[in-house]
Amino acid sequence: MAKTEQRNGLDVRESNMKELSDNGKSIKHELASEVNGNAINEETSVDRYGFTGGAQQYSAETVEDLPIEVLRQREAKWLEMLNSWDKWMAKKHKKLKERCQKGIPPSLRGRAWLYLTGGKVKREQNKGKFQELDDQPGDPKWVDIIERDLHRQFPFHEMFAARGGHGQQDLFRVLKAYTLHRPDEGYCQAQAPIAAVLLMHLPAEDAFWVLVQICEKYLPGYYSKGLEAIQLDGEILHALLKKVSPVAYRHLENQKVGPILYMTEWFMCAFSRTLPWASVLRVWDMFLCEGVKILFRVGLVL
Amino acid sequence: MATAPYNYSYIFKYIIIGDMGVGKSCLLHQFTEKKFMADCPHTIGVEFGTRIIEVSGQKIKLQIWDTAGQERFRAVTRSYYRGAAGALMVYDITRRSTYNHLSSWLTDARNLTNPNTVIILIGNKADLEAQRDVTYEEAKQFAEENGLLFLEASAKTGENVEDAFLEAAKKIYQNIQDGSLDLNAAESGVQHKPSAPQGGRLTSEPQPQKEGCGC
Repeated sequence: MAKTEQRNGLDVRESNMKELSDNGKSIKHELASEVNGNAINEETSVDRYGFTGGAQQYSAETVEDLPIEVLRQREAKWLEMLNSWDKWMAKKHKKLKERCQKGIPPSLRGRAWLYLTGGKVKREQNKGKFQELDDQPGDPKWVDIIERDLHRQFPFHEMFAARGGHGQQDLFRVLKAYTLHRPDEGYCQAQAPIAAVLLMHLPAEDAFWVLVQICEKYLPGYYSKGLEAIQLDGEILHALLKKVSPVAYRHLENQKVGPILYMTEWFMCAFSRTLPWASVLRVWDMFLCEGVKILFRVGLVL
Repeated sequence: MATAPYNYSYIFKYIIIGDMGVGKSCLLHQFTEKKFMADCPHTIGVEFGTRIIEVSGQKIKLQIWDTAGQERFRAVTRSYYRGAAGALMVYDITRRSTYNHLSSWLTDARNLTNPNTVIILIGNKADLEAQRDVTYEEAKQFAEENGLLFLEASAKTGENVEDAFLEAAKKIYQNIQDGSLDLNAAESGVQHKPSAPQGGRLTSEPQPQKEGCGC
């Protein structure tokens, strides 16, 4: 990623990325910072990912910087892929995977996620559906719980900092729409950070469909009542750990630390509340390309 | 890590339970960090905190397991009840529904812990007097009927937070003193440590890994 400083999240010079907000503020921080090469403002406390503080805030040492030419090249490659997506998915998936592993260029990340997850296809197959769900009031039971959680998602991110601001409003819309889409599942608190990360990169409707894909295709059953899927994956992770790192495994066993204790949040939030932000995005790039096995790999490394 | 040396003589295991949004994590944070965390992220699964306190001149390390409040997380949080010496059962004095759910939390607490587990009922958000929805008296009565300790507290101002954790510890300690709590029982939730002279938890280096620290 280019070594640049964020100005203040307001100025945008690229229109590659889907634009989400209508006040010009929220979503564009990332490309604003990364695309244009001049380092300026030290005063602003918003980092390149839009965080103003908290554990997620970017610290310079953790990110390796990419020469601007490389970034440009990658953007061009990604644009080409996005333009003939089906062909790439069908025939050159390996290459695509490699490119995800290298990290999706920030300016195209949102779109790439939408394509990778099949959220785009879902959206097109269900034209008007989100609007329809969005117009419904929602089950008060879920609405109440969701509202209680809105201000608790990444409060240090400029998009979600303001009570009742655009970020929180969109978050509400997306989560509520999901409870209407899958009334049998309703809302699980762990979905909120997932949806919030998506909203940092995508407009509400797109974020919704990607969320649907994550909940149904990538992590089926993770958020359902009973949480059986996550418990099962916990056991799998534990067993894998025994193989990969017997010492760590034995230590945890001795301390009577079960997988549920450490991996629930990791997996259910796809590390979004665990890792430094630059790493979160890279993990997500791979996760949305390759699926849950990425979460296992990251989990084992940690 | 914290400054405290490892010279405590007991470890008590606590759990914090109650509906979502009642302020369980905030209570824990206030207790361990002495700070109020506004916009505290909701707990996914289980979290963990410790602090060393003193009761009757004995240093006691509290190991506190903070659980997610949302109903569906009970599937994974239930396994943490086992072997708790103390349970903090929290409701929000400004939201009646959180009080109404106490009986279900209490059932879980009773079924999943041992008979000696000390349960303390905490009415949190006591600073929001104007929005009070549950009176002190009725909660007090509920506590008495069910043999629970009871306090109203505020994770925001810190009022009574310290006391909540201490009261439970005193009661547990008392149970140890009068013999009603058997330390050797596997699930007492209490571990006794003869005060380590030079305070070493991970001191015994010699054996490479196997069953190293006996903590």
